[in-house]
Amino acid sequence: METHGRHSAQLPGHTVEGTDPQLYIQTYVPAADAGLRPVLLLHGFASSAKLNWADTGWLSALNSAGRRVITVDLPGHGGSAAPDDLDSYTPSRIRADILQLVSDRGVRPLHDGDTTTGLDVIGYSLGSRLAWEFGATQTELVHRLVLGGAGGLDPLAAFDLPAAQQYLADGTPIADASTAALLKMAQLLPSNNLFSLLSLIEAAKLEPFDPAEAVPKMPMLLIAGDKDERAATMGDLAALSSLSEQVLLPGRNHTNAVTSRAFKNAAIEFLAG
Amino acid sequence: MAEISFPLPDLGEGLIEATVLEWLVAPGDQVERNQPLVEVETTKSAVELPSPQAGKVVRIHGEPGGTIAVGEPLIVFEVPDNTAGIVGTVPVEEAPRRRVRLSAPPEDD
Repeated sequence: METHGRHSAQLPGHTVEGTDPQLYIQTYVPAADAGLRPVLLLHGFASSAKLNWADTGWLSALNSAGRRVITVDLPGHGGSAAPDDLDSYTPSRIRADILQLVSDRGVRPLHDGDTTTGLDVIGYSLGSRLAWEFGATQTELVHRLVLGGAGGLDPLAAFDLPAAQQYLADGTPIADASTAALLKMAQLLPSNNLFSLLSLIEAAKLEPFDPAEAVPKMPMLLIAGDKDERAATMGDLAALSSLSEQVLLPGRNHTNAVTSRAFKNAAIEFLAG
Repeated sequence: MAEISFPLPDLGEGLIEATVLEWLVAPGDQVERNQPLVEVETTKSAVELPSPQAGKVVRIHGEPGGTIAVGEPLIVFEVPDNTAGIVGTVPVEEAPRRRVRLSAPPEDD
């Protein structure tokens, strides 16, 4: 019997590609369980489960609402390993590894009338892109999606890698504002592994986000700050799905929408539906 | 009743100040320990600060958009007199009592 609180015990793992991705995954069990499926949280680029979800109050808000939570750090982020090979960072490989990890933690396909089956997913930024694709490919598993700070464009695919490498080599300013901002994010925290983050960008360029290619068929909540430039094209995502709702958070941008109480309340209410 | 003031805590990473995004409590509210108090943003990230204390909110410092330095007052609570000494006042000095162990200390002592 699992007690409430944080769990990080090692489980016997299965591997998708024959190598253990060594992703840092944790489950947080509520004191009073609402009897609903777990919520998987996917953090953004150059962030971590701790920064994106713990320090911002999401874990306690979801646990207080009776939701069991699963967090995972993306490769090269937080407590996860930072492999040398590019393949470990491709979005398809990350999605496959996450599918295996949640399956190993007892997540089962949706079954009509059983609210404990399936999985809800909340993503932010890059995590929303992964959640969109995960939902689109795992129709039997995903109940609802909450996608924060997401747009129809792919900032990683548009990232100017040569300019970033030039800047890191000799300080030549980066002309592209989005590239400069992403690199600044990557360099902001001393704990970030810059080599891994650039590997992730390189790998994401191999599989750019094409939301129209596969559209999730479950209800989704699209939510972002009204000053979030990276989510300026959120409406393009909404236009692809008749099951989408959009919420704008007044006065919030891509960085500070994450803590918003209105965001948390909207997500918790939406996922309970 | 006594008042206890809490400063903006050290947010790590060498950060010296934070901007208030939104207060989640107001003067007059009764709050529990660990209840979310306020959202603040630093140059690195946005965080939600949980309450270090149960009590009634007397004052909050910093309007949304305003800046608070680490160590400056953030919030003031009203608590029963007998609990204030735990964190808010200098404890009364008592004669030191000698502690004698009668059994082996537990491992986590």
